[in-house]
Amino acid sequence: MSNTAGKAYAMNVITPIPWWKAIWQWVIFNAVIYLPTFLKGLINLSLIHYARWTLIGRNSFPHLGPNQPKEDLHYSYMMFESNFNGSWDQYIDSFSFAIPSGLDMFWRHNVGYPKSIPLHGFYDYIRFNQVETDHYYNAYPCAAANDVKTAISLFDNLKDFSEQLSSLDDDEFLVAYNEFLNDNQASLGSMGIAPGAANE
Amino acid sequence: MSKTLDLYDIQGNICKGYGRYGFPKARYFFISFNEVSDSRNFLLNLIEKITTAEVWPVRNDSSVKPSSTTNIGFTYAGLAALKIPERSLKGFPVDFTMGMKARSHILGDTGSNSPEHWDSIWQGDKVHAWLSINGRDDDEISQRYSEMKALLSDYPGIELLSGHRGPNGSILEYQDASAVFENGEATGKEHFGFTDGIGNPYFEGSGIHISRLPGRGKLMRDGSWQPLAAGEFVLGHPDEAREYPPAPEPKLLSRNGTFMVYRKLHENVDTFAHYLDTHVKGFDGSKDLLMAKMSGRWPDNGAPLTLAATDEEKAALDARMADLVQRTDDGDECAKGQLKQLRSQWINFDYDKDASGSKCPIGAHIRRTNTRGSLEHEKGAFDRPGALVDRRRLMRRGLPYGGIDETMSDSGEQGIIFMSIGASIERQFEFVQQQWVNYSNDFKLGNDKDPLIGNHDGHLTDKHIIQSGHPPQETALHGQPSKPPFFCTEMPRFVETRGGDYFFIPSITALRMIAEDMIDPS
Amino acid sequence: MSNASGNAYALTTLCPITNGAILDDQGNETEAHDKVVRRLLQDIPLNEGSFFAEVDNTYFARLFILNDVFFQQGNEFEQDHLKSKYLCFNSNFHGDLEPYLESMWNNCEPQVRSIWQHCVGFNLVNSAHEFITYIKACQLKTTLFFNGSNDESLTKQLKALYVKQIFSEFVLTQQGKSASETKQNFKYFLQRVQLNNLQSPSWKPGQSELKP
Repeated sequence: MSNTAGKAYAMNVITPIPWWKAIWQWVIFNAVIYLPTFLKGLINLSLIHYARWTLIGRNSFPHLGPNQPKEDLHYSYMMFESNFNGSWDQYIDSFSFAIPSGLDMFWRHNVGYPKSIPLHGFYDYIRFNQVETDHYYNAYPCAAANDVKTAISLFDNLKDFSEQLSSLDDDEFLVAYNEFLNDNQASLGSMGIAPGAANE
Repeated sequence: MSKTLDLYDIQGNICKGYGRYGFPKARYFFISFNEVSDSRNFLLNLIEKITTAEVWPVRNDSSVKPSSTTNIGFTYAGLAALKIPERSLKGFPVDFTMGMKARSHILGDTGSNSPEHWDSIWQGDKVHAWLSINGRDDDEISQRYSEMKALLSDYPGIELLSGHRGPNGSILEYQDASAVFENGEATGKEHFGFTDGIGNPYFEGSGIHISRLPGRGKLMRDGSWQPLAAGEFVLGHPDEAREYPPAPEPKLLSRNGTFMVYRKLHENVDTFAHYLDTHVKGFDGSKDLLMAKMSGRWPDNGAPLTLAATDEEKAALDARMADLVQRTDDGDECAKGQLKQLRSQWINFDYDKDASGSKCPIGAHIRRTNTRGSLEHEKGAFDRPGALVDRRRLMRRGLPYGGIDETMSDSGEQGIIFMSIGASIERQFEFVQQQWVNYSNDFKLGNDKDPLIGNHDGHLTDKHIIQSGHPPQETALHGQPSKPPFFCTEMPRFVETRGGDYFFIPSITALRMIAEDMIDPS
Repeated sequence: MSNASGNAYALTTLCPITNGAILDDQGNETEAHDKVVRRLLQDIPLNEGSFFAEVDNTYFARLFILNDVFFQQGNEFEQDHLKSKYLCFNSNFHGDLEPYLESMWNNCEPQVRSIWQHCVGFNLVNSAHEFITYIKACQLKTTLFFNGSNDESLTKQLKALYVKQIFSEFVLTQQGKSASETKQNFKYFLQRVQLNNLQSPSWKPGQSELKP
């Protein structure tokens, strides 16, 4: 069982939601794209590579054939999946410190959800409804989301910079090189492996 | 709504840093409980000697303050040895239960930091309790220590542990610590030459004067400061997450208590001095500036780089300070006000105007260990500017050690006894140590480490970036060619862990319950 | 379209696992399907050893078994139970769904079969096309996809990470050198990293250690 792969952690949470509230939740999810505030919080945390929320209608569990019994459920379900950097505790802490109202907006309608403050009710709810990952693959275990983003930025800038090379004499080059370092100094952190992890 | 705490029930060093109150000397010693009833009786007799957090109204009024202080804390092994009920033991958080040695992979205590290199007292699990004496001078320390030894000698079931490396190759049964003195005066300096211990957090009900709030509490959206919730530092009180911090049952055992991290941090003074001498050659600035760019504060007076970011600006600041001090001494009330305002900026500052690190490098020591709202890259993204740091604050209570009875050197015994107090070791100290000291993802600087205390190994990439003094994209404004960032590379390990553990600091009430074996086991 | 954010795709699937036990040649019951699948999943090698390293453009992939939904405990809640267990296969990748699944089938058919053969109806899957149809039947529509990173191709991401590793070290070695030396060394650096060749040199998918 592996919830982690290098610098990333795979979290899966599945929670029930009354089918009629699921409709409202669907509206909220779609509206969020147009509401910058919540996404601003997530983006500033910059702990997440990719995350998703999926609403599963109670009649929408995949049914592939007559020999598979059809599901008969009271509730619809919401599945949350995240690929993030840091330990479980650090991740949940960061979210609940920084954007508690955002968390409430996403989970409020779920069955049994306490609010995100006080903290331990929220912790317990997520832990209780979390499913362990059996196999987790990360294409770049040595890179956090910030490492990937700064790498892309640096790469694109380096390509542009290298194209000027032939037109500059030595002194001009050094001036341009120093300016390049200055402009890209935020992308020059060392690469390495994940810091030692606490036991779950 | 303001909070009051029962300061007579809380041990003194939780609310106060004794150093500020005229106690620049300390002695720490550790005991083992070999026999339960002797141990409990000792504790019973100790209670009246324990210093509480009661307010000492006037700093220099020695009639109110004790001549020396005494405090006590317990490891998990110690509480188990005292036969605290199983149910209570199980209620302690995992970090405390495991103890610091077992958490070395989280803390980066590897290589030369790893427990096998620690002072011998920390080998095995004999350390059950920590006792501290803080005093005005060596005589008062010795006197109180003699009293304590006399008391201990009445209880043969308790062992005073030896095994602290001391000056000149000695092995001692205590660890001394002391402020660094200059011209007979105690300073806030430590052995690398930095001024340390500026800016501890301010929490509700601590009894500390409100004038010390700005820069020390939590920063609100409107720019004002509020005290942090007491529960960030004292168990049994609501914390910043609007709940009671997790703590063992029964409530009286944990209420008004807290956790303390104790770490002996050896300073390789020669290595550090040599590193500075070597690297200042390629650096555009003085050695003091290079030191400041590693720490975040100027070494001589602790001025933050946000206040003066170059040698020229520092000279101007020093001149202004000197002028204000002179005029204040001459009775100029206006100058006095200005001086006070200027001094407050030593603590009350943020990095809002320094997002690129051109003044205080993003990876500088103080910017890592107290990020002060700088992690909210876009204003308004979080509930509060300090949302990611308010619950990661470290209340520091330590002192330097060594450098008195022997010449300092890498192989000598000098450094800092680092002590940090808080309601959650994992959320506060361990998080800062793991994520902000030995790692830099939150600063978008990958695997870079704290230049002063990071667990470097001299590799090329064990580095610290001193961001360019001209923020990017502004070089055109200055009309000058860009200065590139400066890289401190191949950093060796300046600071090494030489021992320590996690301690529970009980309230006076809890101490009595432990001593009288009065904790309800059901 | 909420399955995608730019060129980054979020595939969410629940593949029903056949109930009951596997029958041996004599028709006797041996082990339950879900137990076999779980063991297979836990035995997949990690990082660069995972078969997902062979599936082009996979950023992150995960496999887990959903045994049942959780009863929230309490009088006011209903108790739901799933009638089948589900293999949850979620993937974040660059590009479109069909080429991705095709690559998965073409590059990893044996591993895919060994796992998915325990899912309902998979015995009818014998080609990439049929695999695509099958997965689409198990696909759930992502409601909100948060992309906290980027949507570049995996090749570019890995190349950029490699270049950052080499360049961030390069700049440290050049500090204080003369203009002509720096320019010459920078040329060597470009020759070494070959910015225009995204395939190589580069990090390998799933690479779990930095290589010098």
